[in-house]
Amino acid sequence: MSDHHNNQPLGFYADNPEWTTPESINEELVARHEAKSKYFKPILLALGVGVILGVIGLILRLVDGVSDTSKWGYTAAVLAFLLTTASAAPMVAIAPRIAKGHWRRIISRPAEMWSAAGLISLLLFIPMLWVLPSLEDGRRSLWFYHPGEVFAYSPHLWMTLSLVGLVILGFALLWISALPDFALLRDRAEAGSKERKRYTWLARNWTGATGDWIWQKHRLGIVGALYFLMLITVHFLFSVDFLMTLVPAWIDALYPATHAVHALQAGAATMIITMFILRRFCGYKEIGHDQFWGLGKLMFALSLMWFWFWMSSFMVYWYGKRPNEQQVLELFVKGPYLPLFYANFILVFVVPLFTMIWNFLRRSIWGPTLISVSVLIGIFFDRIRVYVAAYSVSDQSAEFHGIKTIPPTVYPDVADVFIVIGAITAPILVYMLISRVVPIINIWEQKELLLYKLHKKYHRATVMVLGKPE
Amino acid sequence: MQEYSYASDKEINKSLLKDVLGMPKWWLAAFGSLLLVWLTGMGAYGWELNQGMGVTGVNRPVYWGFYITNFVFWIGISHAGIMVSAILRLTQAEWRRPVTRAAEVLTLFSLIAALTNIAFHVGRPWRLYWIGPYDFSRGIWPNIRSPFVWDPSAVGTYLIGSTLFVFIALIPDLAAARDRATGFPRKIYAVLSLGFRGTPRQWKLQAVAGILLSALVLPVFVSVHSIVSWDFAVSIGVEGWHSTIFAPYFIIGAIHSGVSAVAMLMALMVWLWKWDKYITPDHFDSIGRLLIIVATTWFFFFALEWIFALYTMESAEIALREWQIFKNPMGPLFLVFMITSYFIPVPAWLFKKVRRSPMGMFITTILVNVGMWLERFLIIVPSLQRRSPLEFDWGSYAPSIVEILLVTSTFAFVGMGVLLFAKVFPLVPIFDMKEGVRLRDEIQVGRRSVPATIRE
Repeated sequence: MSDHHNNQPLGFYADNPEWTTPESINEELVARHEAKSKYFKPILLALGVGVILGVIGLILRLVDGVSDTSKWGYTAAVLAFLLTTASAAPMVAIAPRIAKGHWRRIISRPAEMWSAAGLISLLLFIPMLWVLPSLEDGRRSLWFYHPGEVFAYSPHLWMTLSLVGLVILGFALLWISALPDFALLRDRAEAGSKERKRYTWLARNWTGATGDWIWQKHRLGIVGALYFLMLITVHFLFSVDFLMTLVPAWIDALYPATHAVHALQAGAATMIITMFILRRFCGYKEIGHDQFWGLGKLMFALSLMWFWFWMSSFMVYWYGKRPNEQQVLELFVKGPYLPLFYANFILVFVVPLFTMIWNFLRRSIWGPTLISVSVLIGIFFDRIRVYVAAYSVSDQSAEFHGIKTIPPTVYPDVADVFIVIGAITAPILVYMLISRVVPIINIWEQKELLLYKLHKKYHRATVMVLGKPE
Repeated sequence: MQEYSYASDKEINKSLLKDVLGMPKWWLAAFGSLLLVWLTGMGAYGWELNQGMGVTGVNRPVYWGFYITNFVFWIGISHAGIMVSAILRLTQAEWRRPVTRAAEVLTLFSLIAALTNIAFHVGRPWRLYWIGPYDFSRGIWPNIRSPFVWDPSAVGTYLIGSTLFVFIALIPDLAAARDRATGFPRKIYAVLSLGFRGTPRQWKLQAVAGILLSALVLPVFVSVHSIVSWDFAVSIGVEGWHSTIFAPYFIIGAIHSGVSAVAMLMALMVWLWKWDKYITPDHFDSIGRLLIIVATTWFFFFALEWIFALYTMESAEIALREWQIFKNPMGPLFLVFMITSYFIPVPAWLFKKVRRSPMGMFITTILVNVGMWLERFLIIVPSLQRRSPLEFDWGSYAPSIVEILLVTSTFAFVGMGVLLFAKVFPLVPIFDMKEGVRLRDEIQVGRRSVPATIRE
């Protein structure tokens, strides 16, 4: 057993030479949380303009009415993009925490904070409730509709419940994770101040007693697992009821899982870009090579998985040569959206494969970041390709086992462009606003790492010893 | 409470090489019994070769029966080695160390067992060379667009890759056996260990080769069962088979049954070779946790497959599903499949007591494999029986005694293979165990000691 417990800084696992005691971590991270950048307000303002454009776009779209689904393809696509990126990013905190990976500690809070973006998904989802026809139009659904026996708005009901559930679970995860930090900020705030009141309310009665910590550990595990299950449910329901059912011949049992795998890949990419911004522009140099390497490996594996899932679907359709399946390939791959398919294939699979295979690129800061940008653009094209194409199919009747005519490419109009701008800027705005209340680095997890980490001499090298509690 | 062995290098060498250099009392009896079962199967195979495929239960339209079911089952089990060894090695999971070799060996013999099923099935195995690119006498080439041609390429590549994988990891242990053996065995070990002396360069090369092979063999691992699944899925003429989900569904099912087989083998290693010092309740606990995730993912894919079968609302597909669930004899088999593959094991694994008990894990993982064998049977046979739409085309299937004997013989073959391997080579990787002891540490947190690992 090691007899010494010195924490000589080596630069591993989000180490900071000055973070040798819990007090030094408190001082440093609370000071950074309270500091205000001069760029903060201008950036907020710019994002606010984007949000206003989004609202204008949504109003313009609503003026057009909800009966023509082809006009709502881009809105559905950008909503799916948010569910795929921001809503999946918290998995970067949840999965390594369950697997007890210490490298996650410095990035778990930034990942959890993306769950707040669920609010924007929820707002954007509201008009979709009117856009999606009821099951009385005769199309297939997960709910095996029979008039009088099954509620004709079952897809709308279950999707709403699951999305609301995801947002609630996301906020619960963020709050439970931040409780000890709220208590710290409460105790450091001046008596009677606004901050003191705010953090007293947020920290509830957290005192750091053993019972508090046990409660928090269990709740983090349970809520994290539930968040993952709800995320998969949301992707399953949205990809079937709000996508596949609109295309009569599209029967692809793998697609809901593919949609979810895209989310895990895009969630990792979102976090890598977040890490880069925090490191480069916000002064969090502790987010280092371990984090980029860890997530880079994950994203590389998920890029390979993307190809395998795509190939599994494509192979069966292409080889089978059934006319209705050929129509589906014509609509989504070979037809009007072929350029988007090529772009998607190259950006999400080819580029990560031929770059991330190199260890020196995975270990760098710029490598995984640039590849993440490529992945996010590719996923965005994929969502447009699939959702815009599906929403442009005019005959959704289940009676006809195929698409009568392949609709032409639907290009975005001004309203669509505004909605896309608004839907992308709004989550970032929410994220930045929340960062003023919740410390962006998990303070208690950094202090906990001090307990489980030591450096020692091992023959001629100095090595790090990491404890893994049961 | 995590328990670890702190045996010295000498103790590890002694206990793990004891049964390689000596002869355990039970070994001959166990090997002999399995040999008897296998020889009975081979006798049945001789009968089948002599009499033709008429001695089996396969007949129009059910041309695929027990043999193909068993082929898919053993291909599934063969995914154990790569899952446990390669993935856990790449993710640096410490608990993998005592079980990697057993898992890899299981992969090797399962693959061979799977291939023998093809020989049983084809009727005239002496024409198996037709599958190769050989056209001299026939003037035709194999149809490379057929999944039946992709199959041997993928399985063959996997067999070569897995053999290399086992061999590379075996070299330091072969050197240890060479240094302790005498006479002829010493010469054999000397040749096989390729002059390994344990120099830093040799260790580095061995470690790099292990990591590279782990990464390279993973795509092959995925391709093998994907291609096996496409034997079914690319066909459009059989209800229930033409589904896009088959490749990932087969892979996750393979991992479910394969990792379960490894857990079963771990219990046998504890009981037969008395390696409870190396395979502790912690190892069973870890593999139990892994199995909960794998089994639940498998169940998700199973549910997707069923949901989308019903989603089509096509009468032939619905008729097939009714036949699978509600009619005899498929209905009771389906019930057994569901209960044994998920609804007994997974709730049981939620209890720590079950996960940490070799007996608990042994029973539940046997149940999983009973269920997973039935799963393959229920995918293949009911679909071929064509219960719709034309009644004159209906078929039935009952396995003959020859098929039952041959399927049983494959289980005996794999058992024999593992026993024989363990008699000649160490079944627990000696060098890996020693490395584990060196990298293990403890950290004092308050009044508790927390297990820790050295990271470079």
